[in-house]
Parts: sequence; C-alpha cells; structure tokens
Amino acid sequence: MYYTTAESRRLQLKATTMIKNYFKIAWRNLVKDKVFSVINVLGLTIGITVCMMIFLFIRNEFSVDNFHTQGKNIYRVMRAFDRDGKQSSVAYLSGPYAPALLNDFKGQVKKAVRVSQDDNLVTIGNNSFHEKKVLSVDPDFFDLFTFPLITGSASNALQNPNSVVLTETTAKRYFGRIDNAMGKTITVDKNLQLKVTGIAKDVPSNSHLEFDLIVPLSNYKDRSTMTTWINNGMYTYILLSPNTTQAQVEKQLPAFIQKYMGGDIKKYGFKFSLSLTPLKDVYFENAAFDSVKHGNKTVVYIFLSIAVLILLIACINFMNLSTIRAAERSKEVGLRKVLGALRNNLIFQFLGESVLLTAISCVLSVCLFLLAMPWYNQLLGYSLTVSGNALPIYLFLVGVIVVVGILTGSYPAFFLSAFSPVQALKGKLRLGKGGSLFREIFVVVQFSISVFLIVGTIIITKQMSYIKNKQLGYNKEQTVIVPIDNNDIYNKMDAFKTGLQNQSIVQSVSLMSGEPGGFFDGHTFDVEGHPEKWNSRTEFADFEYVKTLGLKIIAGRDFSAQFPTDTTESVLINKTAATKLGWTPEKAIGKWIQNTVRDSTKRRIIGVVNDFNFLSLKEDMDALVIAPNMDRRVALIKLKPGNIDAGVAAIKHEYTQVVSGYPFECKFLDQQFDRMYQKDVRQQTIISVFAGLAIFVACLGLFGLASFTATKRIKEIGVRKVLGSSVQGIVVLLSKDLLKPVLIATCIALPFGYYAMDKWLQNFAYRTSLPAWVFLLAIVITFLIALITIGLKAVKAALDNPVKSLRTE
Amino acid sequence: MIKITDLQKYYRTEEVETVALNNVSLEVKEGEFVAIMGPSGCGKSTLLNILGLLDDPDEGSYLFNDIEVAKFNERKRSDLRKHNIGFVFQSFNLIDELTVYENVELPLIYTKVSATERKKRVEEVLEKMQIMHRRNHFPQQLSGGQQQRVAVARAVVNNPKLILADEPTGNLDSSNGNEVMQLLTELNEAGTTIVMVTHSEHDSRYTHRIIRMLDGQTVTENILV
Repeated sequence: MYYTTAESRRLQLKATTMIKNYFKIAWRNLVKDKVFSVINVLGLTIGITVCMMIFLFIRNEFSVDNFHTQGKNIYRVMRAFDRDGKQSSVAYLSGPYAPALLNDFKGQVKKAVRVSQDDNLVTIGNNSFHEKKVLSVDPDFFDLFTFPLITGSASNALQNPNSVVLTETTAKRYFGRIDNAMGKTITVDKNLQLKVTGIAKDVPSNSHLEFDLIVPLSNYKDRSTMTTWINNGMYTYILLSPNTTQAQVEKQLPAFIQKYMGGDIKKYGFKFSLSLTPLKDVYFENAAFDSVKHGNKTVVYIFLSIAVLILLIACINFMNLSTIRAAERSKEVGLRKVLGALRNNLIFQFLGESVLLTAISCVLSVCLFLLAMPWYNQLLGYSLTVSGNALPIYLFLVGVIVVVGILTGSYPAFFLSAFSPVQALKGKLRLGKGGSLFREIFVVVQFSISVFLIVGTIIITKQMSYIKNKQLGYNKEQTVIVPIDNNDIYNKMDAFKTGLQNQSIVQSVSLMSGEPGGFFDGHTFDVEGHPEKWNSRTEFADFEYVKTLGLKIIAGRDFSAQFPTDTTESVLINKTAATKLGWTPEKAIGKWIQNTVRDSTKRRIIGVVNDFNFLSLKEDMDALVIAPNMDRRVALIKLKPGNIDAGVAAIKHEYTQVVSGYPFECKFLDQQFDRMYQKDVRQQTIISVFAGLAIFVACLGLFGLASFTATKRIKEIGVRKVLGSSVQGIVVLLSKDLLKPVLIATCIALPFGYYAMDKWLQNFAYRTSLPAWVFLLAIVITFLIALITIGLKAVKAALDNPVKSLRTE
Repeated sequence: MIKITDLQKYYRTEEVETVALNNVSLEVKEGEFVAIMGPSGCGKSTLLNILGLLDDPDEGSYLFNDIEVAKFNERKRSDLRKHNIGFVFQSFNLIDELTVYENVELPLIYTKVSATERKKRVEEVLEKMQIMHRRNHFPQQLSGGQQQRVAVARAVVNNPKLILADEPTGNLDSSNGNEVMQLLTELNEAGTTIVMVTHSEHDSRYTHRIIRMLDGQTVTENILV
C-alpha cells in the first residue's frame, strides 16, 4: 500500500498522539494507585537488581582467563594419582617436565612455561616488603599469557635472569610513579639483585594466576624442584600448535611418563598419570590440588537459580497485580472500544504500560545496583567492575524491559481486550474462575520458592554453625602460627624454638610441615603385612607436635626426648590410618612402616593419635602418618592462657632475634580455621540476603493480592457486618482463602527443600542433621509473614464502616 | 437511516436461555428523535447496544443507511461506529484519568483527526456545552450535570449522524436533567438523529416518537409530533 506524504505524516502524527495519550493514562494510573504501583515497581526493581548483581558475578566467574588471546591452545599439565581408589589430581610438577615436553613433542607443544608461586622479601633502599604474590617463571611467560605490559617488551623483559617485571600498583608502591621504576634495581631475599625491565598492567580479578612481581625462574635453577623429577613444586603450562588436539598429546603421555619416571615409579611405588586441563577449565577445577584461585560451579548455579527465582517471583507479582488493576479499568476498556479503539490498540496500550513500568523499574534498579555495589564487592571479597560489563548489562536491561514488559503485560492485554464493549462497560470485568485459579497458582509458585529459600537459608546457617562449633580433636585456641618462609628463620629455627620455649608465656612450640587446615602432602609407604604400596597423608613434625595441638594418644606413646632414636626409627599414625591398615590402635603399635621416598630404613609405629580434623571439614577423615623427618614450614606456638598481646610480643621479640629484614608475621590457628570457610560464610550471607529479598518480594505480591481481595469483597464484608459478623470473623474469612495457596506451597516446597539441601550437604564430609524442626520453623516463618501481610489488609477491611462499603454498590 | 427486521437476541447460560429481543422490527428515519421505553429487563438496552454496534444480534437484519451491518466484523463495526455514532450513558462513563478536554478529544484521536483540527473542534464543542471553564478538570471534580455535559460533548465532537442515549438523565436531578434534554433537542434540531432509552415520561415528551417494549418485543408506538 502506498501513502501520500501528507497521509503518512498524518498517520505518524496519529501514532504519536496515541502514544502520548497512552503514556498519560499509564502515568496517571501509576500515581492514582500508589500502593499498587509501589508494590509493582519495588518488587520488580529488587528482582532486576538482584539479577544484575548475580549476572555480574556469573559473568565474572565464566570470564576467568578468557582474556588470553592464545587461551584456547593453552593447557595446564596435571598429575593424577590413585588414593584409596579415588583419583586425586595435583597441579604441581617438577622443573624437568617442561624441557622434556618441548623436546619429546616437537611440533605439537610450541611453548612450555613453568610457573612457581613464591613468597619473597623485596628490599628497595631502606624499605622492605614481604611479597606474597611473586611468580617465578620462564622467559616466555608474557608471550604465552596475555598480561599486557605498559612498558617493556613481552618477549625480552624476562630474558635476562637479573630482570624483574612489576605490576603497575607494585611499581607505584616501590617507586611512587610508574615511569620512575624502569631500570631501577630491587633486592630479592637480601641477595638477588634484579633490574626492573617491564611494568605489567594489574592482574584483572578474573585471572586464576595472580601476581605482583614476576621473577625469572632461572634464578632458582639449582633448587631441587628444578633438577629432580620427583620433587614437584611448580605449575607447567603448555601451548599446543593449532593443529594439535589435547587428545593427541594425552595419548602419548603414558609413554612419556614411563620414559622419564619409569625408574622412580618402580622404586617408590607411585602410580600416576599425566593429563592436560584446558586453560579455561583451570578455574573451575576445584578438586585439583594447587594454590591458584578457584571458583565453584555449584555456587554459580545456586546463584543463577536464585536470580531466576527472584525474577520469576517479581514477574508473577507484576502480572498478577497488573491483571487485577487492569480489570478495574474495564470501564476505560469498554469506552475506548465504544469510541472506536480496536482490539490491537488496546493490546498495544496495555503492553506499552507494562513496558513503561518495567523501564521505570530498570532505571531504579540501576540506581539501587550502583548503591549496593560496594557492599556486594565487600561480601564477595573481590571487585566486580561495571565498566567492562556495560554493554552486556545494557543488553540485559533491554532484554528485561522487552521480555518482562511483554510477558507481564500480555495476560491483561489479551485478556481484557477480548471483552465486548458492553461487557466491559457493565462495570468491573469478571476476572473469572480461570483467572482466580491462575492467581492462586502464581501465589503457590511464589511461596513454594520462598519456603524453599527459607529452608535453604536455615540449613546453610545451621551447617556453618555446626562447622564452627565442631569438636575438631585438636586445640585451636591461643595458638599462633609463624611461617618458616625465609632463609633466616629456616636456618635458625631451632634457636627460635629454644628462645620461645624459654619464654614463660609460651606453653609449647612445635615445628612442622603443615598446621591443621594447611599442607599435608601425600606419600607412598611400604607397610608390614601389606604387599601393596600404601598411600597416606603425612605430617613431618618435631616431638612437641602432639602436646602443642593437644592431640590424644589412644594407644602407645608420644615421641619423646627420652628415646633419641625416635627421630629416625619411629612414627605416630592416626586412628583412621590404623583402621585403613586393618589394625586396632593397640595392634598397630610396633608394626613397621617406611616412606618410600623419605626413609632409608623402616620405622616402628610407637603411638596412635585419636582422629582430628587436619583437613577441611569438606573432606573425609584421611589416614595420617606423623614422622620426625625434616620438613619444617610453620612454627605453632601455644600460649599460656592470659594475655595474648604479650604472647605475640614475646614471639615477635624472639623472631627479630634470629631474623633481620623480614617483617614479623603471624596468624592465629582459630582464625586460620575460620578463613578456610570464609568463602562459604560469604556465600551463605549472600544467599541469605537474596533469599530474604525473594521472600520480601513474594510478600509484596501477597499484600497486593490481599488488598485486591478486600476491595473485591467489600460489599460482602458490609453485608456480613450488617448481619452481625464480628471483626475477627471477617479477618478469618479473608485470611482463610489467602492462606490456602500458602499452605499448598509449603507442602510442595518442603520435599524439594529437603532433597536439595540434603544434596548440598553432601559437599561436606561433616554435616549437620536435617531435623524436623527446621522444616517446622520454615512453615512457621512463612505463615507468620503471610498472616501479617494479609492481616494488615483484612483487619482494615473488617474495621471499615459497613455503610461505606455498601454505598459503593 | 436505521431499519431492523425480525431481530432476535438470546442470552445463554449453562442452564437457561433468556430471550432478550424477540422478533423486533423498527425503523428510524434520519432526523428523528425516538424514545424507547419499557420496564426494567424488557430489552431496551440490548436493543440500543445492537443499534450502536456494541453487540450483535443472533438473527435478523440491521440496515444502517441501507447497508447490512448485522454481520460486520469488529474492525468494520468499530469503523462505522466511530465515524457515525455518538453515545451518551446514564453513568456518564468518562475516563477518570483524563481531563475534560482529553475525554472529549479521545474520539477524534481514534478517527485520526489532526492536532490543530482536534483543538478547534474540542474547544468549539466545549464552548457550546458551556463547560470550557472546566476543561482542565478531572471528571470527579465535576457535578453530575457537568459530567453529563462533557459526555454529550464527547458524543457529538465527531459530528455523528446518530446519537444513542441510554437513560441520559437517570443519574441527574431534574434541573440538570432538563438541561441535558434541552441539549439533545438542540442537537436533533440541528439534524442529528437520536435514539434514547428512558424510564422518564417527562423526558420522552422531548421526542417525536415513543416505542414501548415489553418482554423483548415492541408493543406500541406513540407518535408525538
């Protein structure tokens, strides 16, 4: 069809006038019914805000390591071994792997870069910094990974062993300004002089590798981890050529292992294999043993579900309330039809209104979101940035406006516009039995979600408190951890220990390879009566270990200075180790055991300690062999009850006696324990907050529905009161109907809640129970909230003068 | 102008079928002012709704200006309605969210009249109805008589050939009622055909002809002029 210019202008004008008219009506409706509008807009605003927050979080999680341009060809080499039939996977390899891979896979492996996480003292002039995010790497590091350099060349910056690359922030910290830093010299661990050859941009929060300084690994070429195949201590990343697949390389890895490690495997009884993990999967490779940043896909999915659920609740509210409100506008619908509006004009009008309302919510959400960001970042423990995500957020918002706007507007639009003008004009449109069933189903869905979230929140809280208060089998109070992480303290640890033992405030001191919750390496043993090699966790510690941690010896005896041969001839094991070996604690005493790598002779089991939770409570109790072999990484100092500050001061004093240059740092064992669950606690808080919001939004909807019911039944209430009904009678009458869907929702949600939370608890080796009272509490909370919400409206309706309500006829 | 023959309309529920109109035939000539009277439930309003194309008959023929409209689809009916028919209701049926001016303007928007033309016509009709000083008020701020004047203004702003009035004075006191009847008479004198449903013998005296209905049938016709 062709229009003349005048005609098309006229049509255009008409469209604008019409839209203006719609806007006017929409706006005036919004203002007229403030309660409804607030419920509608507030609910949706909260829903959208939570979605945006979760969207950012999820985007950040899935964007980890996406920024590496060669990312799809980068793999991390992983070592897997059998432990009690379960495959454990470790990221640590030794130095010789990388050159061997390059040599044996020529043409397939283009680059191999070793990355060692270190912790060094850095001195610039008179200032010393204890740097915990130092990576010692091969020179190709910046060619392999995309960590852009602000100054310096990616290919040359690390060629010279005496070079160092700092991040922007580190450079500013050391030298005030970035341009001051290039060419300056820093001293690492008091003897290694390194010249700044490059400044890298700060590492983004979505990188699994984090660093402040990059040091050439060639400086440590004599470390045993660099020279001995079995001394693992660094990660190896490889770049495959574009036409090589992961499977191709993995197929040849068993032969590779046999070639280089065959002898060791035979000698020590290891059983292990190599595999490749694509770079993009490293972040979610939670089970891997390493010290890089990891995310948890389950948490991502939990968050995603919450976002969807909250948005769903808000949309249901929106649709419900819009329908109710639209029904009250039947006169307008009828009239517009009488005056010539076609059905699609009305559909367009109602859709337009809901799109407008959604748009308003979106604008408010952005404001709320920006206000809540600092709190959210604090809760997450890292900074999410909006700037890099602006486009997807806009797209998300536009998507929400279109989808939610149209979805929520469509029911009233199509439903109302279908009425004949006579029906519409006759007064209030009957929403019909179908409509009321729909609304009840909506309420059921909303409250099912709410009850489910309440159950979830209670159980997560209960589990966290269970972990916090669980008897761990060792004494974590008044215990200070001092890391043995530099040469000074390493060389003089015995003097440090003796010094501390002479302090009256110190109860006992023990030097060990790992504090509870810390590092417990797995080793292979030959054991009396067991032809097969046997794997166990190990603790290498001195004679004060049991005393300092307050462990309980259930059979045999502790290490003792009275038996000088204990150092070379004895071990302690835990109860689980004894059980796994098929012995009672008493039977275990006197049996021999030999660490295939660390011991040259057999040792006797002299004692069995009761099980204590040396691993996170997420892991099952494992076998542990405590032996006095040398491997000291931390000092645990148990203070006498009383003044903790004085105790820490005394430790610091002793530390500075033997260590110069390195700042004194210590942690408390109980805090260390809390830190282990910090992420869980954070997630618990976030989930509780979001669950609370979901419930709030659902209540907004219920309140709206209660208002509607009260209005709809205003005449009935009047008549009943005239006929003698009491206020309570009316409140009960109104509440009864509204509580029915809530009751149904509870019945639906509880089994789901039970199932889901039982599944979640499987994550923990030690879990709280799921008693009936948790579910009863959820029911009580839900009904209380629903009752208050409905009651507010019902009481008001019941108290109104019946004459007033009857006059509305 | 209007010619209906053997019109039938039923209302059905699951259990009963009510005959609202039973073989109604009538003719209204251009320029006539006709009253339809009868007790509650006799089918007056149903007839008026069908005349106004707000409702469709189950059987029978309806010629509007010699065109058969009984089987028109929604679009055609709406088109015919908005260009030819104005409505006045007992309960005014103004849109509460729109001002007096905007209420009167609404039919012109649906008939795609340009903005300048709309302004001219709305102001003209508001002047004529002596309600111009209330143009920016909302319906609730007006008295019943004023509201009905606005409703009449809205009904005539498109210069319809036919006005259908459903008890236009039913919600008004006698002096306001007389004013409205006066307005309708003036419109009729100016050439507009009017069909009015009423209970009021007093109001019916303003018309040319009274059609009396009972139980869905026309029973008598009184010619007054």
